[in-house]
Amino acid sequence: MPLEPFAESKALTFGVELELQLVSLSDFDLTAASPDLLHLLARKPFPGNVTPEIAESMIEINSSVHSSHLPLLAQLLEIRDTLVSAADQLNIGLCGGGTHPFQHWSEQKIFPKQRFQELSSLYGYLAKQFTVFGQHVHIGCASGDDAMFLLHSLNRYIPHFIALSASSPFVQGHDSLFDSARLNSVFAFPMSGRAPFTLTWDDFANVYFAKMEGTGIIKSMKDFYWDIRPKPEYGTIELRVCDTPLTVERAAALAGYLQALCRHLLERNEEPPVEDDYLVYNFNRFQACRFGLDGAITHPKTYETMSLREDILTTLRKMERHGEALGSLGALRHLSTAAQEASDATYLRRQYEDQGSAEGMVNAAIRRFRGQK
Amino acid sequence: MPDLLTILTNLAWPVAICIAWLAGEFGKRWTGLPRISFYGIVGFALGATQIGVLPPTGAGPVLVLADVAFGLILFELGYRINLRWLRTNPWFGMAALVEALGTFAAVYLVANAFGTTTMTALMLASLAMSTSPATVVRIVNEQRSSGQVTERVLHLSAINCVLAVFTFNIIVGFWIFRSSDDIGDATLSSLVALLMSATLGALFGVIVPALLRHLGNLSKDATVGFALAVILLVSITYTTQMSPVVATLAFGLTARHRRVAFSQAQRNFGALGELLTVLLFVYAASTLDWEQIVAGGMLALAVVFVRLLTKTLGVTAFSHLSGISWRKGALTGLALAPVSVFVILLLEHARLRGIDVSEELRSMAAVTMLLEVFGPIIIQRALVWANETTEA
Repeated sequence: MPLEPFAESKALTFGVELELQLVSLSDFDLTAASPDLLHLLARKPFPGNVTPEIAESMIEINSSVHSSHLPLLAQLLEIRDTLVSAADQLNIGLCGGGTHPFQHWSEQKIFPKQRFQELSSLYGYLAKQFTVFGQHVHIGCASGDDAMFLLHSLNRYIPHFIALSASSPFVQGHDSLFDSARLNSVFAFPMSGRAPFTLTWDDFANVYFAKMEGTGIIKSMKDFYWDIRPKPEYGTIELRVCDTPLTVERAAALAGYLQALCRHLLERNEEPPVEDDYLVYNFNRFQACRFGLDGAITHPKTYETMSLREDILTTLRKMERHGEALGSLGALRHLSTAAQEASDATYLRRQYEDQGSAEGMVNAAIRRFRGQK
Repeated sequence: MPDLLTILTNLAWPVAICIAWLAGEFGKRWTGLPRISFYGIVGFALGATQIGVLPPTGAGPVLVLADVAFGLILFELGYRINLRWLRTNPWFGMAALVEALGTFAAVYLVANAFGTTTMTALMLASLAMSTSPATVVRIVNEQRSSGQVTERVLHLSAINCVLAVFTFNIIVGFWIFRSSDDIGDATLSSLVALLMSATLGALFGVIVPALLRHLGNLSKDATVGFALAVILLVSITYTTQMSPVVATLAFGLTARHRRVAFSQAQRNFGALGELLTVLLFVYAASTLDWEQIVAGGMLALAVVFVRLLTKTLGVTAFSHLSGISWRKGALTGLALAPVSVFVILLLEHARLRGIDVSEELRSMAAVTMLLEVFGPIIIQRALVWANETTEA
């Protein structure tokens, strides 16, 4: 089936998806609680949307389509409060974070839904190891060509989103020394990485996608696990590199930053993207995953090495004009503070030290998600 | 050279445990039924009053080991209990009370209808309230189940046990004095004993985690540290006649709220827990006497049936209000069926204190035997039907 046409959507509208952890309050391990939680949530209208994920210890929520930061934040807070009160009733802990620090992949249960069962049998342990939690941000694009332009222009900013959201330092009981270890799990999939360098929708859909479909490997866009991918049915591009942050405030701020960046890029005052930009892409991505805000990245055009934190702070300042126009200055300030102080990954490591155990760290993440100190 | 009989007697327990373990492994493989059901069957068959491989029970190292095994399980159960849940979901707490008190009332009426004495009926009723944590924890771990039915059965089983210990002690106290003037005294002394046991357990729950934390390297040392503490705690309750059930439960509960690492690998206390579980279930079943079981007869069947009914109805009634489906509510109630190990140890301790109520409680022997075998199967089925178990 050829790729559907790129649906029209209002430029720079946006929406957020968050994959959340369901944690047992007894031992703070992941717990297969999504069927019970969904059952309870189904009794009342839900602000936004809530859906099952591949493992029963995960749940996904998404916001409606918004055009500015404050209404998005308000809705995410409302979603959070609804979820938290339902989870309280069932003695389930809810938290953000890109990985659960000590869950064992073999313990995870696959949600009974055909697509999930198929994925599970195709990917084997990868599917269960994929019990990682990400934030996806959709940005509305006026056309497919705009979408491809934005998708590739954003390549240089991908490390920003990785470092600002990084919240997965621990994997399988140990400190991975990565700030975002989650992306390493995503990389294990054959169709992960970056999208091919095509700058028009026609090239992407009728040449690249058609060829891939011809190989029989790919059936739909869902089979690609790229860092950013176009979503023709929504008329959006979808940024997928972010870990689910520990708070919904951070999640809303990241979306606000992406929206401002896209507004900036659409003015087309920056040098247009070229294939060679991707020469430094994987290295920069690694720096952001491994060292977070302390990483050093190489500029794809000038080959200048710079501190990721400095680059983020500079860009945030540059975005203020757009933030003002879009009503998202709050988001930019939130991230600026976060970049100067500590990322979620650093927060988690500190909690591990203070609490003396991984369980204590998960408990701190649960409290933080609820908005408690 | 020791004579043959002595040698055989000395070998009895190790051999019985090996047979039970083999029966459990093969039985599980061939039938898919829980291992502990087979431990119970073997223990009962080899008991002194049946085939007679095992010596008559009494105070001794085996009872101590069984108590330690049960203590470890109760500690683990306590560690999984979240008291705050009863506050955030009061309907669930209500279900616990209604289910337990409803069972008490119904069993009392049934026993009366069968013409037992009031005292026997009261004792039966208080014991019937309980749900054996040993079976519950064991099956939950064996099936690696998680979800609302699992979570609720664990909490209800803890609550039921405390209620059962409390009322049973009152009734026994009353029975000893045999006068209604003393019911106040009996209640008070039962309450004091419970509070003292709980305090002792809580004290352990504060000191032991602090000590472990001080030693560092929690994830490696926690199991042994906690196991040793449980053994010590059980021994102390022995000599001071406090309730090991309440003490170890309180220990786990307090330790949990001190948030000290107790990682997945240590479920069931690892190999130590596995081993002691075999012994615990063999021992419990071996104390039963088939003559008493037969004598228990129809009353036992009626008690099992009524108990299953009231527990299921009690929990189901509040399932919607407490946030789960009717179906999961009913399955939770059904899963509360197991009773055996808890009751047997309670009675055994009463007997050691000179309170032999086994004649009065003949029918309880039959109830425990029935549920020693069928209890694990019922809860296993309930968890499977609730889709809360992990596929093998």
